[in-house]
Amino acid sequence: MKESMVSAAVFIQNILPTLLRASGVTVKLTAFSIILGIAIGTAVALMRISRSKVLSGVATAYVTVLRGTPLMVQILIVYFALPQIGLRMDKFSSAVIALGINASAYIAEIIRAAIESIDPGQMEAARSLGMSYGLAMRRIIIPQTYRRLLPPLGNEFIALLKDTSLIAFIGGEELTRAGQHIISATFRPWPVYITVAAIYLCMTALFSFVVQFGERKLLQ
Amino acid sequence: MSAMIINARTSNNHGMVAGTSVISHAVNVNTNYLSQAPQPGSRPEAPMVELKGVCKRFGSLQVLKNISLSVDKGEVVSIIGPSGSGKSTLLRCVNYLEKPDSGTVSIAGNPVPEDESALNSARARVGMVFQHFNLFPHMTALENIMEGPVQVKRIPKSEAKEIALSLLSKVGLSDKAGAYPRQLSGGQKQRVAIARALAMQPDVMLFDKATSALDPELIGEVLQVMRDLAAEGMTMLVVTHEIGFAREVSDRIVVLAGGQIAEEGRPEDILSAPLNQRTREFLAKILPPTRV
Ligand SMILES: Nc1ncnc2c1ncn2[C@@H]1O[C@H](COP(=O)(O)OP(=O)(O)O)[C@@H](O)[C@H]1O
Ligand SMILES: [Mg+2]
Repeated sequence: MKESMVSAAVFIQNILPTLLRASGVTVKLTAFSIILGIAIGTAVALMRISRSKVLSGVATAYVTVLRGTPLMVQILIVYFALPQIGLRMDKFSSAVIALGINASAYIAEIIRAAIESIDPGQMEAARSLGMSYGLAMRRIIIPQTYRRLLPPLGNEFIALLKDTSLIAFIGGEELTRAGQHIISATFRPWPVYITVAAIYLCMTALFSFVVQFGERKLLQ
Repeated sequence: MSAMIINARTSNNHGMVAGTSVISHAVNVNTNYLSQAPQPGSRPEAPMVELKGVCKRFGSLQVLKNISLSVDKGEVVSIIGPSGSGKSTLLRCVNYLEKPDSGTVSIAGNPVPEDESALNSARARVGMVFQHFNLFPHMTALENIMEGPVQVKRIPKSEAKEIALSLLSKVGLSDKAGAYPRQLSGGQKQRVAIARALAMQPDVMLFDKATSALDPELIGEVLQVMRDLAAEGMTMLVVTHEIGFAREVSDRIVVLAGGQIAEEGRPEDILSAPLNQRTREFLAKILPPTRV
């Protein structure tokens, strides 16, 4: 028993560098997807609350479709189906696009809810000073949403970080996939998956901490 | 001219610091003002605000029914009337926060434009003060006041800061430049909100129940600022439940009931001898019995 624990510890020590290197890919995937998700999500949120029926209709359809279908299917479509219509990308780019677009639907809803939670009197006061709608949004409304955005966005980012593990299924060399490689070579699923899980946990815990810290900063 | 400004400023400062000196100073401002302002009764070319046949409905609810109203430059008009009678909607139509279904609104003889960017600049010339202040919570008092001049008028920041500081001193809040709205009392917030509107150098100021969200002991300081503004010759449209203020400061009182102007006239006539049944009912509700 004691011997096997020692050997497990040595084993984990040996695989750790490989897994940590793969975690780098996971973090990179998450970061790029978040950036894409926020960019598209903000645009979609603004479309959803716009007075134009067409824009808000398109945005609503976008959100409905992306939230109503499995992320795994979306990943497979981007990676396997898009190349058939001439959109060929490397694995990393397809992963970022699939994850980022999926996240953008959730982020759009988070941003829309935050904007709608701001007292309408703020928009009126801004407009009464002669600000255009866009200027009032940029200067008065959006800055007030930051504090309300942080907690739900933090949750979304943590979910996104975990969802990057699905990229293993299209062969993306991220943390989960790296674990699978080690297992197929060593046949020791227990220590590998436990270590992989522990690394995910460390990353999400660290991220939660950063979000909470930021929240406290914004509250001041 | 400069004497008047200095006088007005001191009056304000004193008014805020020590409530007791308000009256004598306010009288001072008044006399100084009268010596060089247009004579009462003199009619400038176009009315500052003119509404003609304004109608507004929300769904099936007809809120404004054929409202025609004209306010001259330098005139202070109080709008009173029961809750839900359309007072706020009327004010909001004046700066097109609400677009009338029919009828026209003109400011200084210019019809309020339809075009979005022209509309924005037209709005910049109409100051609005809200019941719940609507200060921008993420900005300091100074930044709140600078926001319009810097972002809308594109005035250099240093210049806007000077304007904002002088307005803060005008409303007696020089020491609160760096304070955020949440650090201010209701009365202080409303005074900053008034300064914010004044920073755009509006032709007209609209007040929508500017004191009704305030604790009783804070109402006086806001009314004093409004009184000073009136004395300086600002054109004002004031929705209020402060009948005493309406009586003292306004040149004219308009009674709105059920979306129509029930009655309008000089404060002393409206308040002591209302002709209209709805005016009487309304006044009976809000005035202490002895005064009706
Ligand atoms: N944006 C709106 N949508 C629907 N109804 C409204 C809107 N604004 C005002 N109303 C209705 O119009 C009526 C008049 O409102 P308002 O002008 O605020 O009255 P007052 O300020 O005299 O109390 C009220 O019955 C109110 O519910
Ligand atoms: Mg009202």
